[in-house]
Amino acid sequence: MTDGIEPFGEGFVTALAPEFVLVIGLFTLMIVPNLGDAKFRIPLTQVRIPWLFGGKRGTLDSDPRLPGIFASVFFVMAFILAVVSFIGGMETKTIASGTNELLKVDEFSRLFELIFYGALALASIASIDRLPATSRKDRSVSGLYNNRRQVDFYILLMTCGLGMSVVALAQDMFLLFIGLELASFSTYVLVAFMKETKEGSEAGMKYFIVGSVASGVGLYGLSLLYLWSGSLQFEELSAHFNATGMDPLPLTALGMLLVGFGFKVSAAPFHFAAPDAYAGAPGPVAGVLATASKAMGIVGLLRILLVVASPEGMDDATTVWLVALAVLSVVTMTWGNLAALGSTNPKRMLAYSSVAHAGYMLAAITAIGALNWEADHADASRNAALAVVTALMFHLVVLVCFKLGAFLVLSLLESENGGHTLESLGGLVKREPFLAVAMFIFMMSLAGVPPLAGFLSKLLVVMGIVKAALLESGSGSITFSEIHWVWYLALIMVINSAISVFYYLRVGLVMFFNEPEEGREGPLPNGTSIRFAIVACVASTIYFGVGAGQLIALCESAANALVGAW
Amino acid sequence: MGSTSSSEVIIHSSAVEYAPLILILPMLAFPVILFLGKIFNGNPFWKNSVKEGGLIALVIMGASLLLSLWLIKDFIGSFDSMDEFTDWTWFTSSMWNSGNETDTVVFGFGVHVDHITVVLLFVASFLCLLINSFAIGYMNTDPINDNRNHRFYAEFVLFCSGMLGMVLADSFLWLFIFWELMGLCSYLLIGFYYERPSAAYAAKKAFLTTRVGDVFLMVGLAMLWTLFDGHLDYAYVFNDDNIAKVDPASLAWALGLMFIGAVGKSAQFPLHVWLPDAMEGPTPVSALIHAATMVNAGLYLVARMFPFFGSEHMFGQLDDLAFIIAAIGGTTAVMAAAIAFVQTDLKKVLAYSTMSQLAYIFTGLGAALYLANTLHWHGAGHEVEHGIVVVAFGAALFHLFNHAMAKGMLFMASGAVIHEVHHAHHHLHHDDHHHEPSPKELVMLATYLKEKDQSAFEFFTSIDLDGSGEIDTYEFKEALKSAEIADLPPWEMEPLMNAIDLDGNGKINVPELDLTLTRVLLEEAHDHDDHHEEFDAQSMDNMGGLASKMPITATAMLVGSLSIMGFPLIGGFWSKEGIIANTWRVALDDPRFMYPALCVLLGAGMTGFYMSRMWLKTFAGSPKGEVAAHVGPTNTWIKTPLFILTFITLSGIILASMGFTHWAPESKGELLHDSLLDGFLYEMEHAFANHDSFFFILSYVALFFGAIVGPGLALSLYGGKLDDGETAKPWFTPVLALNAAIKGRYHWDNSALSESTLATALSNRLYFDHYYDMAMLKIVAAFSFKAAEADSGVIDGTIKTIERTSQQLSTKLRALTTGSARDYILMAAIGTLVLFGLIWGVVA
Repeated sequence: MTDGIEPFGEGFVTALAPEFVLVIGLFTLMIVPNLGDAKFRIPLTQVRIPWLFGGKRGTLDSDPRLPGIFASVFFVMAFILAVVSFIGGMETKTIASGTNELLKVDEFSRLFELIFYGALALASIASIDRLPATSRKDRSVSGLYNNRRQVDFYILLMTCGLGMSVVALAQDMFLLFIGLELASFSTYVLVAFMKETKEGSEAGMKYFIVGSVASGVGLYGLSLLYLWSGSLQFEELSAHFNATGMDPLPLTALGMLLVGFGFKVSAAPFHFAAPDAYAGAPGPVAGVLATASKAMGIVGLLRILLVVASPEGMDDATTVWLVALAVLSVVTMTWGNLAALGSTNPKRMLAYSSVAHAGYMLAAITAIGALNWEADHADASRNAALAVVTALMFHLVVLVCFKLGAFLVLSLLESENGGHTLESLGGLVKREPFLAVAMFIFMMSLAGVPPLAGFLSKLLVVMGIVKAALLESGSGSITFSEIHWVWYLALIMVINSAISVFYYLRVGLVMFFNEPEEGREGPLPNGTSIRFAIVACVASTIYFGVGAGQLIALCESAANALVGAW
Repeated sequence: MGSTSSSEVIIHSSAVEYAPLILILPMLAFPVILFLGKIFNGNPFWKNSVKEGGLIALVIMGASLLLSLWLIKDFIGSFDSMDEFTDWTWFTSSMWNSGNETDTVVFGFGVHVDHITVVLLFVASFLCLLINSFAIGYMNTDPINDNRNHRFYAEFVLFCSGMLGMVLADSFLWLFIFWELMGLCSYLLIGFYYERPSAAYAAKKAFLTTRVGDVFLMVGLAMLWTLFDGHLDYAYVFNDDNIAKVDPASLAWALGLMFIGAVGKSAQFPLHVWLPDAMEGPTPVSALIHAATMVNAGLYLVARMFPFFGSEHMFGQLDDLAFIIAAIGGTTAVMAAAIAFVQTDLKKVLAYSTMSQLAYIFTGLGAALYLANTLHWHGAGHEVEHGIVVVAFGAALFHLFNHAMAKGMLFMASGAVIHEVHHAHHHLHHDDHHHEPSPKELVMLATYLKEKDQSAFEFFTSIDLDGSGEIDTYEFKEALKSAEIADLPPWEMEPLMNAIDLDGNGKINVPELDLTLTRVLLEEAHDHDDHHEEFDAQSMDNMGGLASKMPITATAMLVGSLSIMGFPLIGGFWSKEGIIANTWRVALDDPRFMYPALCVLLGAGMTGFYMSRMWLKTFAGSPKGEVAAHVGPTNTWIKTPLFILTFITLSGIILASMGFTHWAPESKGELLHDSLLDGFLYEMEHAFANHDSFFFILSYVALFFGAIVGPGLALSLYGGKLDDGETAKPWFTPVLALNAAIKGRYHWDNSALSESTLATALSNRLYFDHYYDMAMLKIVAAFSFKAAEADSGVIDGTIKTIERTSQQLSTKLRALTTGSARDYILMAAIGTLVLFGLIWGVVA
């Protein structure tokens, strides 16, 4: 790529406009709350120059609600800028230093950024109520404490968003890892943000320890890759893999990277910290973990499995990672659903359901590995791969709508110290019918009931897998024995979905038919902005269920950007 | 979505783009009304100003009607088929077909507009609006419906949405989906008063009987789907090239099975038993089912099959099916009319009349389908045949229109009569202790105290929290709450307080409470007594002489009856004559058709009799009983639709002159007359001075039966002069005078006839219900017991086992999540090793 944009060269800022908005937001959050009337005296004189940094704060800039509003505005702006770049056709731009490609702006990365920014914007809007800033007149310790840490929370959300967009854009394994770690470290702290609670600090600690181990293993894999090829560029790695991919070195590296990203998408058995983390984290943060953070892990997996160790380059029909990933996906989805069945903590239940969803997505990637890339199959295989990746992207997008929404509803209950037991949801319909209906819609969508978005996403994934499995069987009439075994993944997925309906519906049962818990009869805590975020989630869950055409087209263009080159 | 043949012109009308809204609006109104109703139930604004959702429904149905009219206007403007328009795609999917090639399947909804659609669309949207207005006047003025009308309106709009969707759908699959939606709504609405066992039974009966037909319909559709290579959309199945590839015998079977579905939905012999019982629903529901929606669905389905019959590739292959359709129609026409002879319930007469008139339309459709199937009527040189087919089909379709208008009006008018009779009865028997009904909370409180054997004083001291000797609103509210009677918002406490607070000081003291509760208990006991006495507000034996008291209703009823009877120049006349003529035309060609042809001719006379009987018994003569003498006029919400429909029915001659008697698929603009006068002369000539001597005689024979013999018999038996001093509107004078004259001169004693075995059999509905019940008990019940056993043992057992096993597994799995980070890392390490193993295993 010779026409790449040099870092900080011409067109750099316009190409990365959404990311720069986040950077500006980050600095704004750091600077604005510190503005005051401080003056700087020039030494040896009596001249005092207004320095503005420190001193007595003004009324406006020290308002504790400011960071939340700022962060929400910047996330929404970044989201809008990312949407704008789609209008009138996406222009693919590469940021390259010399011949080294660093970042690539295309439909694929932009769509992932939409997922990240959308989820973070919703979480940030919801946090204005979840992490309420108290009035400045409140001089109590907890009040001061709450106000003091407002800005920390949103700064961490911003860095998280920045890290995630780097992951989506990266064309270099190392850069990808830097972004991943930036986002991960932010989430470790965010999970433990409610450090005054036992669950919060414990969850943050465990998440950090297990996450570091996984990152360490992944990083070791990365260094092995570098040792083997001498470059971490995707293109070069890919070329290298086609040539000598069967060497022990890259295969070991591949396994280790799978562990690293497996933790991010919370695939079993690397998922153990996830339920603890989700349960201890504030609702909106848990929502981000289950949606944006997971999408980030999927980016990594797609890059490593479909670009680097791309099945298309293999001369023999079997992809190396096929069996490993298939086993991983089956274990993950089954484990997630079975564990969710018995969970009485709705946040843990959603965490396990998130594990199960990771399993579905892994199954989709597995199906691509099963495709046959011999010359006479290549065209059909490309189409099938496109369909699967489209389904995957669609799934990730709509997951933000209903999974995050469900966490936001729980987050409102958390504000009154509920949300950790199923019973605390009891009689929600009497306390606030809107919330109960919203939660029910989210649960139905998670269970995959038409016409909600969750149904379509599951259907597309299943259809994609079946399509890939049938394609493998070659031409002529199909007999059952000729169908590729990845077909069973679809079957297992459908069975798993059936199991999952049980625990999703149980939430509805409790909300609609149980009486409210003792001491919880009254109305729920106030909060306009979190309800606004929930409304947005409900609306998009329904809209993407019935009017999915545009979104599917968008996902298809993104998928095309990833696998179209094959 | 499939290919369209070149002859069809797709017109891009913006009306079509908005057409899906016609059904989406009411569908969205369904949850809105339901939820608002749940939230605001009992709120005075909701109750009085929004009519518990009635006005929301009215506005929505009005919008649907406007959109429909826009669509119809564009269609008439182009006079062509605006056929296919897939408006909304849910998602597209590639699927493998048997030849291992990909088929692209579009999941979406489209709108199909042609001549049949337009008629049904207008009938449905127009009548739904009028019936909605009627319902506001009927439902909201009856205290028995208080605080649950929102349920009625919500189900009402869903029902309308089902019908509109079925009419607009562009594939048999969507047709079926909306068909079932209507089935569900009919169940809910017929069983609106589900606390009455008879209503619950009727709802179940309607649901199950139509379900029998639906099973066949589903099988038929599945056959059709196979025959047409996995397509059910009209664009594909009605395409001539695709029809050519289909085996005629198989197609006949598929269509025949679908026809059984129509038989169930349109209540034809032998699946007719549900319709009379469906009268258990509130009258607006009856009007909706009988005129605007449900029963027309079956007709629509048969009419939709027209392109199969009309295709050249099916020439002469489907005539047996056409005969079956006509024969079922003929049988039902006579049978239902005969049963209607002996009914005394006003609404039941109308129910059987619906059945009979629908049978006419089926016969007409059968004849039209026969003609379409056995004549070469396409292309140049076949203009005469083309005309014959179009006129035959048009007559059936026009009768559907006329019948819907007249029957909608008749039901609303009968509803008005029943409403007012009921009202008069109530008024008359409650005059001595005229009072507002006590708030139900008070009744509950009184009963509660009585059951606990607690005196008013004891109760009083227990709730007087501040010991002031008087209870204020707050204390009373808390007391009601703690007694688990009600937890009311403050504004609803006010009427309660007012009911007790006799001196009006805003507080309650012991004597006030004691007095009020005693009074409430007494009234309650009295009301219970009231319910014991039987008074049937629907029985015509309690009516009579109402013509002077409810002039608009009586007029509407008269015009509607005349239209159904086929009285010259009014709506139903044109279409009924057409159906009879065309059935005979087929009978001349195919002797089998003599049976339906004779049936419809006989039925014409029978219709004349029972419709006249109904009107005379209700409106003419002297009032039978005290109640009928005290009936008053009805309210505006009810009068308006009656007035509009009277006008439409009377203007049947104008519609006929405009050429709507041959409004049929593939009829083009040239068939509509250039001027009204031309059309009028053409129609008059055809009806009264046909050049063909056979049809000339036939038309007068039909007229003789329908307008002279039938009504004449009724006039001699029933009705009579109004009581002295009662004055009716001038246009009733000739009818009443004729009635008095004939009854005076020719009255005869029909008691022998009315006590004959035949009459008994007829009033027992020819024992159909009896035998069906017996068959059910003997065969189905035994089978269903076995099925229940198998269900609980095998199916439930399996599921329970799976559930138990999963729960056990779940516990085991979750036990692995120890909560210790060390264990988590250990598991991750094991996972890593397994991954390595798997990757190496593949390579090695």
